[in-house]
Amino acid sequence: MDEKKPDKVPNWKRDFPIQKKKATHVSRREFAKYLGLFSGTLALGNGAIVIKSLYFPEEELKGEHFVCNQADVPVGEMFQFEVAGTTVVPYILIHLEDNEWRAFEQKCTHLACAVRYRADIEKIECPCHKGYFNPRTGDVLQGPPPRPLPQLAVVVKDGQIYVKAKDQEKFI
Amino acid sequence: MSNYRRSQNQAHPNKTNALMTGILVLLILFVSIQIWFLFGALNNALRENFNFALTTFIGSSILAVASFWLLRYLPDPIDSPDNEL
Repeated sequence: MDEKKPDKVPNWKRDFPIQKKKATHVSRREFAKYLGLFSGTLALGNGAIVIKSLYFPEEELKGEHFVCNQADVPVGEMFQFEVAGTTVVPYILIHLEDNEWRAFEQKCTHLACAVRYRADIEKIECPCHKGYFNPRTGDVLQGPPPRPLPQLAVVVKDGQIYVKAKDQEKFI
Repeated sequence: MSNYRRSQNQAHPNKTNALMTGILVLLILFVSIQIWFLFGALNNALRENFNFALTTFIGSSILAVASFWLLRYLPDPIDSPDNEL
């Protein structure tokens, strides 16, 4: 009984074959190994998310930031502004009736399209996929967005509008 | 010279095939679930939902370990001059 196979090719030779046909061939065995590797990579990616949310949480807006004068934005209009921070995020300021002011991030929570306030239907609309948000709370009314729009608190001082981080941040 | 293993392989050539297919199907299933977890974690991490990120990470790690463990059972190729590509 000869257990030793005479034509056994060593692994290093198998990995770097001379013939192109052999080099380009991916056997099912190798495919399974690739899947295993991919599986490990996905687990690492998931770990990266955990590390990011543990050690690099999103920074809250610090202090109050001047946006514009109260007279610049009539009732039912929206004003687009940016607050310079670590990353520049576009925001919108909405002047609702009864002198109510709201400020939201302009990035739709679905695919980051720019949202806009529509006074005729009194909703914030994402024109890309017809997502609608409540202009008072930022909650999703309709469409594909999975989360409400992030909101800032608006402060009116001497006819000038300032924004600051909203106090009631939800940590689940 | 023939031995037991070779004659088994010759008598039931589909055994290796079935085993390989089963392992591949399981691996693809695991990877699909992991992609689902990763997608969910990315979506939820945006809202500072730490528990979801942690739970999916644990689940994904278990699936990855299961994938590596499955690779142990990959059947050896039937080495013969005819089967060599």
